[in-house]
Amino acid sequence: MRRLLAGRLRPFLPLLAALALLGAANAALLRGAGVTTDMTDFLPPPRSAASALLLRELRAGAATTLLLAGIEGAPAPELARLSRALGEALRASGRFAFVGNGSEALSEAEQEFLFRHRYLLSPAVTPALFETPGLRARLAALLAELHGAASPLLARLGFADPVGAFLDLLRAWTAGSAVALREGVWFAEPPPATGERALLIARTAAPGLDTAAQREAVALLRAAFAAARPPPGARLLVSGPGAFAAEAAAAIRADLDRIATLSSALLAAFLLWRFRSLLMLLVVAVPLSAGVLAGAAAVAATFGTIHGAALGFGMTMLGVTDDYPILLVTQRRPGEALAATARRIWPTLRLAALAAAAGLTAMILSDVRGLAQLGLFAAVGLPASALVTRFALPRLLPPGTAIAVRPLPAPLARALLALPRRRGAAWALLAAAALYLLAIGGPLRERDLAALSPVPEAQRALDAELRRQLGAPEVGVLIAVTAPSAEAALQGAERVGAALAPLVARGALGGLDFAGRYLPSARTQRERQAALPDAATLRARLAEAAAGLPFRPAAFDRFLADVAASRTLAPVTPADFAGAGPLLAARLGALLAPLPEGGWRALVVPSDLRDAEALRAALASLYEPGLLVVEVRPETQALVEAATARALLGCGVGTALVLGLLAFGLRGLGRALLTAAPLAGGVLLALAALALLGERFSLFHLVSLLLLAGVGMDYPLFLARSAGEPVEERLRALGSVVHCTLTTLLTFGLLAFCATPVLRAIGLTVAIGIAGAAALAAALVPPPSRAPA
Amino acid sequence: MLRRPILRRRAALSLAALAAARLARAGEEPVAALLGAFAAIRERRAAFAEEKELPELDRPLRSHGTLSWRAPDRLEKRTAAPIEEVLRIEGETLTLERPQQGVRQVLGLDQAPELRPLVEAIRATLAGDLPALRRHFALAFAGDPAEGWTLVLTPLSPRVLAAVQRVTLSGRGAAILGVESQQGGGFTRLRIEPAR
Repeated sequence: MRRLLAGRLRPFLPLLAALALLGAANAALLRGAGVTTDMTDFLPPPRSAASALLLRELRAGAATTLLLAGIEGAPAPELARLSRALGEALRASGRFAFVGNGSEALSEAEQEFLFRHRYLLSPAVTPALFETPGLRARLAALLAELHGAASPLLARLGFADPVGAFLDLLRAWTAGSAVALREGVWFAEPPPATGERALLIARTAAPGLDTAAQREAVALLRAAFAAARPPPGARLLVSGPGAFAAEAAAAIRADLDRIATLSSALLAAFLLWRFRSLLMLLVVAVPLSAGVLAGAAAVAATFGTIHGAALGFGMTMLGVTDDYPILLVTQRRPGEALAATARRIWPTLRLAALAAAAGLTAMILSDVRGLAQLGLFAAVGLPASALVTRFALPRLLPPGTAIAVRPLPAPLARALLALPRRRGAAWALLAAAALYLLAIGGPLRERDLAALSPVPEAQRALDAELRRQLGAPEVGVLIAVTAPSAEAALQGAERVGAALAPLVARGALGGLDFAGRYLPSARTQRERQAALPDAATLRARLAEAAAGLPFRPAAFDRFLADVAASRTLAPVTPADFAGAGPLLAARLGALLAPLPEGGWRALVVPSDLRDAEALRAALASLYEPGLLVVEVRPETQALVEAATARALLGCGVGTALVLGLLAFGLRGLGRALLTAAPLAGGVLLALAALALLGERFSLFHLVSLLLLAGVGMDYPLFLARSAGEPVEERLRALGSVVHCTLTTLLTFGLLAFCATPVLRAIGLTVAIGIAGAAALAAALVPPPSRAPA
Repeated sequence: MLRRPILRRRAALSLAALAAARLARAGEEPVAALLGAFAAIRERRAAFAEEKELPELDRPLRSHGTLSWRAPDRLEKRTAAPIEEVLRIEGETLTLERPQQGVRQVLGLDQAPELRPLVEAIRATLAGDLPALRRHFALAFAGDPAEGWTLVLTPLSPRVLAAVQRVTLSGRGAAILGVESQQGGGFTRLRIEPAR
């Protein structure tokens, strides 16, 4: 029995050995070359200092460490309890620089630090505040407020700080938060349609680039939620760049895994049904594995690492190399040796593979790193698969192997053979598509950078909603001051703050956040020290100011001592400030940070900008050497347009290359154009169908168009080859094309169902285009009546 | 329409008196009986007059206004003179408004540790929430729940104790008539006159 089995298997041993070898080589290669998942690889590269700043912020800025969370699906008190439990767990974990849910408070040590340095840090400190009239007004106000409910607080602070410098300082800490407070924590106001929602914001200690740490942070958040024993129905929503990096990577992987599994299963079922042979599966797998190996090796050699999405998607793309073994097997004439078939079809197969690789030029030339990897992967993989099909496959198969394909169903065959007589209808369809595109003024263009991000639409919508509710909208304008030292950066940010303060006062700007609100430059701190009177002067003025008020003589002794001490305090440095406590460090860190290449950068963040023109004018009049103003939207649009223009250029070069190759291979430009016509038609149909579906046309669609032109190149080539032949030969060619088209649809068609925008764009474009191109190739093939018998 | 809350309150009062009497007979602690009577009253209003003495001032500060309570957790103190001010505590949220200065502050109770013990003492008593009271204070009761009584509350947490040493509530039946608190060197006396 075993010998019988071994005997029956022996003819297939070379094939199985080749597959095992390729599989092992692939695994080794992937283990050797690092697989990255940095999603910003799919963003266009910077073109200016402003876009470099923008991309750096997108890639590694403080904003990338942000996690936004919403809790819903339970009554408000329960949500508040969950929010508090979550906040405590996250703060205790030590993984977060800051956790805000409305219940956070400056620690006692932090309050003490701010209190000790209040006359250096508080913007309220001016010389006038310490003159007799200023003191008199403050003492009267203190007395009035002592009557009120806040008197226990005032009794503690008011006599040590009657001028209110500390309370003024604290206001800067609470002013930024406009989130509604209920049950002691933040709630979305008004509540979303899904019911009450408690809000929480966290900043991870790890940088945004560290995807592993970001994934752990998100996992920690979810675990803390589960540990807080949420009632049935309560949900945790998580968003933010960290969550994106972690969850988008996971979503893409899940998408690809699902598609890969599903399409492999469907493909296998389809091949088994059509060829009634398990052997066919092995035959198809060999060129595919070889293509993946060659493509991955090329990318690893060129880029050093392979992007996970490029690899996963590239493998799906190489799924079209199924065409080559299918063509080999289905083109075999009855009684012909496979090696002879391979030799016979090689010129056409070679041309098809080279043209497909040339079609990827636009991707390879793209300055979007992820796309370039993808393009290279496929451009190397496709010809490698063709070579293996031509030279290795016939040798690996046992001699005399005959895999017979089922004939096309008779009605389909008749319909396909009749298609050339319907070429009028085909031209009419193309004309209609062209007219439609003209009428709507070309395809809808996508200019939003966010749409290029691999993050699914639903995730981005949730992010926008949580940001709005938390009062942390996407930043519209980013102002940065770069300087050699922290002090110089702080001073620059202060000058920008001073220049923009009038805009806030007259409502052109909703608010302004910059480091100086929390930590002024040392120069400003020294100016404030200079405004403090000496002990004897202050005592005399205070006595004069308190005349007639019921304060006892010793009431303000602590104030007098503290002012005297403040005059000789060393100015607070960024290191002192950040060292005083986590909340202080987090607030300053978001606005002032050292640059990896040396120097410091301070950010000024305007919110709710109503008059962009006034902002530009105010900043233009300010001579500030290290100042960089980035208007996020125009800047990202310019980035997208530049990347699109470059892709268009790539498309032009790619088209010229494909046509040149065809003209050379078919010996004539006229024949090349005729062969390319069905593909151009497929592109046109894809464009019209996308517009009809309301899809916005992005960079990814554009490069997919050339991809589809390359992938479909074998259809008209093989059909044109059979045009003059007897009807069985023509049917064989038609059968090959039908099988190739269906296998392509089984791979790319499935991508159209992905949630990830990149995958969906490519899937949809290629699936529609390839179906159109195949039908057109069958219809536009030269009619047999004109061909020589 | 206008009469219904009054009717309900009377019904509640007599029920509470009955309950108090029965609990007292059963040998239950008098403080539990008193708080049971408080728990039965869902809404109340009162006028207040307040006197504060601070070590830094050579004379007391006087103010007056109104208090209102709505179960389970809403307490409002409106000062009418000499300054206008509204302090509202609902759940865990504290709102302080000074309309004349255009000031409106919203805080979590956690962020106002100086105010918390006073708020909890009055609120837990009005809500009749004995476990909450016991969580924050040591209790000493004297008098008769149905007649005059005093309840002395001493904060349990050393941190709170540093700010507020003692809160003394006094009253008659299910009504608080006075609150005295000792805060550091300062002393506050609140006289309450329930609205008819």
